[in-house]
Amino acid sequence: MTAPGARRLRGRLFHLAVLVPTLLGLAVLLALIFDVLTDTVSWQVVEPRGSGVSFSFWEGISLAGSWERVARLELAARGESAVAIDELLSDPEERRKFAARNRVELMWSVDGRPLRWVVSTTRDRLVADFSLARGLRERSTHRASLESGEHLYLNPWLDASFFTRRASRSPAMAGLAPALVGSLWLIVLVILIAVPLGVAAAVYLEEYSQESRLTRLLEVNLRNLAGVPSIVYGLLGLSVFVRFMRLGPVILSAALTLSLLVVPVVIIASREAIRAVPSTLRQAAYGLGATRSQVTFGVVLPAARSGIVTGVILAVARALGETAPLLLLGAAVFVPGLPKGPLSEYTVLPLQIYSWVGENKPEFAHAASAGIVVMLAVLVLFYGVAFRLRRVFGRQA
Amino acid sequence: MSAKGLGAGRARPAARGLVLGPAERRREQLVRLLLGTAAWVTVLTTVAVVFVLARETLAFFRDPLVSVVEFFTSDTWTPLFVDKHFGIAPLLSGTLLVTLIAMLVGVPLGIGSAIYLSEFAAPAVRRRLQGALELLAGIPTVVLGYFALLFVTPWLQSFIPGLKLFNALSAGLVMGFMIMPVISSLSADAMQAVPVALREAGYGLGASKLDVTLKVVVPAALSGILAAVILAFSRAVGETMIVTLAAGQRPLLTLDPRETIATMTSFIVQAATGDQPAGSLAVRSLYAVAATLFVITFLLNLATQALVRRFGERYE
Repeated sequence: MTAPGARRLRGRLFHLAVLVPTLLGLAVLLALIFDVLTDTVSWQVVEPRGSGVSFSFWEGISLAGSWERVARLELAARGESAVAIDELLSDPEERRKFAARNRVELMWSVDGRPLRWVVSTTRDRLVADFSLARGLRERSTHRASLESGEHLYLNPWLDASFFTRRASRSPAMAGLAPALVGSLWLIVLVILIAVPLGVAAAVYLEEYSQESRLTRLLEVNLRNLAGVPSIVYGLLGLSVFVRFMRLGPVILSAALTLSLLVVPVVIIASREAIRAVPSTLRQAAYGLGATRSQVTFGVVLPAARSGIVTGVILAVARALGETAPLLLLGAAVFVPGLPKGPLSEYTVLPLQIYSWVGENKPEFAHAASAGIVVMLAVLVLFYGVAFRLRRVFGRQA
Repeated sequence: MSAKGLGAGRARPAARGLVLGPAERRREQLVRLLLGTAAWVTVLTTVAVVFVLARETLAFFRDPLVSVVEFFTSDTWTPLFVDKHFGIAPLLSGTLLVTLIAMLVGVPLGIGSAIYLSEFAAPAVRRRLQGALELLAGIPTVVLGYFALLFVTPWLQSFIPGLKLFNALSAGLVMGFMIMPVISSLSADAMQAVPVALREAGYGLGASKLDVTLKVVVPAALSGILAAVILAFSRAVGETMIVTLAAGQRPLLTLDPRETIATMTSFIVQAATGDQPAGSLAVRSLYAVAATLFVITFLLNLATQALVRRFGERYE
């Protein structure tokens, strides 16, 4: 036997050796979140082509709700007459165009007081774009080397109007609205399709089917489906829903494909929840003379509710973040308008992020990171609810 | 459950007499039919996947420009060029390279973390940590691809000379952290399933925690751990977004992790998102690649299940 001191040392080292991997995993998670968050802000050297109207911080806050007042100030500063302004703002088409080209953002401008709201336009010339860290480090150099007409801005990509802006070729004007609406449609449809299908299959397997060869086939198949790469589902959806059923690249095709992808998740979670319902409950109901379907829908499913909901939330979270299958379905990368229904062309959060990462202009990466922050926030909310439900549910069982 | 046909108890006119009225029986049968149909949709999905892949792959191999021998032996993959070659080796090597890097990171980290979670952490700590790791596993892979391309690659480039903008190393490293929570959580479950009596027997013989863990718990949970590793391998092989964004789309037969490569999945994305007309040879080739991918992951899944079955029989 080794000496006690050496033995204790070995024990300590071992403890450390197995602690490090866990911490490393958490560190990577933190690094990712930190990287994404800091990327949502960037330092920019910009040569404004608009009027250059700007407001102090509090002035900007008080103007935040009234886009019209800001637009009037901007147009007036550009030398438009009051009549021309009224005319432009009363024409809905002109108004929409103006809104698509101009944006009010909170920026750090170097002239005078620090945080100011600046009206920026699609025609502004972007001279340089730096990450937050680099901008902070080299801010005095950047300030000193500004040419006349140029401004140094701290650009927050994740501002309120990010959620309402449409797609744009100009990074500063690009927004998340089409992707948000698309993702919402997708989630609603996936819930409508996958939840009844998955819960029904789980009920059949747990409450109705008898031990047989066919049942075993169902079981083996289910386990295999859960391991099929998501991109293969994309090809399935492309061949069956987009081409064979002629739905085309619309939200419904995407929802059907992703439903097939997440049905195994719903089934597995629902089966666990159904299995956890004590059999005494079933027997009591049968004893009262209930039929099998009455027992199933009146007793078992209500008792398994929270477990099933947990599974559904996890399945929806999966569907929300899935990108690869949708790329194959021919989802449009650039969707100018908002999707109107299940048969519209669409984009969704992860696809929008993917297309922004792949854009030629590097500033789109900031829009991508702002999109990622939104998507991760939604996912954290989903997982939080699922974990809470699982703990409550775990205590009951 | 032999409760079938007990449904007549509630206040019902005695004149009906039957245990289940005909309308009631019909309703019961309809419910059973509907539920059964839902269950069989999953089988239909598998059948459809196999049918779609098989049909297009057969059409691909029937083309005079393609030969099965070339598919498995040629070292050039250029279906999108004018001079077309169809040798899947570069895509396989690309997939293998990224997957190997991911396994080199994910397996030791995953198993180490599993040992900590199962043998060292208090239950409350364990639950918190597993929640955090599940969050890591739940991050959409497009986000991991963004992270690999815009954070990990620039960082690696600062000290690895000759690292391309798109490279296998960065994609593999990030993928390693994607599969780590999978290995960690499944292996920890396997270790938790090892009976406490085995551990106590070890301690009774005077063994230290190190010895008990490495010589008793880990060997006893080995098939479960192996199943976790194979499952993670299968996930890594089928992973798409990280490699598409960070590893590039250039089929190259190499094992140099600094190089731009293409994997089976990133080729599928490239061929499907390009402007290839449907039914063209290039599009069919992507179905052949997908069929190969499907067969590989299918075999890996079978292996996992065989291991899990063996594992399940041992202690229950």
